[in-house]
Amino acid sequence: MKEISVIGANAITYPHLDIWNWTIAVYLFLGGMVAGLMVLGAISQFRSKPLTGEGVSPASCYLSPVLAPILLSIGMFFIFLDLTRKLNSFWFYLNFNPMSPMSWGAWGVGAIIPVSVLWALASIPEQYRHYLKWPKLQDFSFKLSAYRNKLAVANFALGIFLGIYTGVLLSGFVARPLWNSALLPILFLNGGLSTGAALLVLIARDPKEKLFFTKADIALITSEIVVIILFFYGQLTSTAPHVDAIAPFFTTGYYFPFWIAVFTLGIGLPLALVLDVMEVAGFAKIRVHLSAWFVLIGGLVIRLALVYVGQLSSLSDIVHR
Amino acid sequence: MPRYGMVIDQSRCIGCMACVVACKKENDVPDEHYRTRVVELVEGTFPKLRMELRPELCNHCSNAPCVYNCPTGASYKREDGIVMVNKKKCVGCKACIAACPYDARFVDPRTGAAHKCTLCEHRIKEGKEPACVTTCLSKARIFGDFGDPQSTVSKIKADKHIRVLIAEAGTKPFVFYLNPEPLA
Repeated sequence: MKEISVIGANAITYPHLDIWNWTIAVYLFLGGMVAGLMVLGAISQFRSKPLTGEGVSPASCYLSPVLAPILLSIGMFFIFLDLTRKLNSFWFYLNFNPMSPMSWGAWGVGAIIPVSVLWALASIPEQYRHYLKWPKLQDFSFKLSAYRNKLAVANFALGIFLGIYTGVLLSGFVARPLWNSALLPILFLNGGLSTGAALLVLIARDPKEKLFFTKADIALITSEIVVIILFFYGQLTSTAPHVDAIAPFFTTGYYFPFWIAVFTLGIGLPLALVLDVMEVAGFAKIRVHLSAWFVLIGGLVIRLALVYVGQLSSLSDIVHR
Repeated sequence: MPRYGMVIDQSRCIGCMACVVACKKENDVPDEHYRTRVVELVEGTFPKLRMELRPELCNHCSNAPCVYNCPTGASYKREDGIVMVNKKKCVGCKACIAACPYDARFVDPRTGAAHKCTLCEHRIKEGKEPACVTTCLSKARIFGDFGDPQSTVSKIKADKHIRVLIAEAGTKPFVFYLNPEPLA
């Protein structure tokens, strides 16, 4: 038996000193979803006919580019809320630290927003261009449409970067065993693509388009389940701090919310997968929307759980014992 | 160039917490926050008990994760080895707090900036020792310059079995512990 008492402060001795809260999880969730929109929107664009002429292009071809910068800006608003010295934010852009994932993120997102806005402008179909208030903006949108494919390629690449970055932001900390896994960026990229596909299922109008993203989500949910299992397996077979790091997920009592998170993921993702497969196979009349909501809720839950539990994990014997 | 750091002789620590109080007073540390702490570990079943008293503080690591994770350069390492925070550059992103394996940092609720042990650099400038060292009545905390081979800390480091906390993190700390029997 070992008894430990500490005169001092950290998140364990004083829970109010938690490092990051739900705002970071929401930022990571929206960042991942935007990554999914950018990647899948680009793929959708290359699969479709050019936007000229009648409005026959799939909704995903213009809604993905338009939603990406909007959702990413909302995500950035949430991370901005978390900063305790907001007026100093400009320092992010007066310094570049190649070893800091957050520095990469600040510069990366700074590049992604303008590129995704350009893609959004280039992707607006002719029949909707009049929604742009200013004639000059309409002209700019028309001129940009010539570069639509190049912008899609740029957004595809930046989407992959964004999806990976949301995981690297956490996995780069040697001090937090739960996060310090090379699988985390893969899990976040995979999860981001999956939530992006789920959102596209919700916003797509054409049944064929919905079917395409449903099929994509079947592959993505399957790989996400595999990566989640491997992530936990990696922690379980690693050193004691890593084993202790995943304990809150499998413990009731004080850690009950995290157990619920695992339960939700354990039920929600396979259920979403089954519903998707049933839809594609043509069984029953189950709406794919239900599956998409499961994926979206699962994506948020896993980020909330990882952000909170990761902060409880430590290499110190005060925590790990 | 000096390389400041500390040796902590755990066999001398009596757990009086005078160092914690001195640090709070000297550095105007905000309420409910601490730059240094004393960990008490008790192992065994009564009456066979063993105790370890372990003062902890910022380890002023050579490979400091708080410094290389700081996106704005607010956390920096001085040439004399002391890890500092430039409040003007700090955005309060808390990456340094997440990065520190020793949980040695916190956000100062008064300023929103990251806050940590500075080894009382304002006292070092005046030729004094850090407040926690000066006040330690059992002389468990030994401060000095590891860059000087003749300093007390260099001699202890050369002559005795010393350890660092969480060596596996690869941070190369400059707070060393003298303890023949740490609790596993």
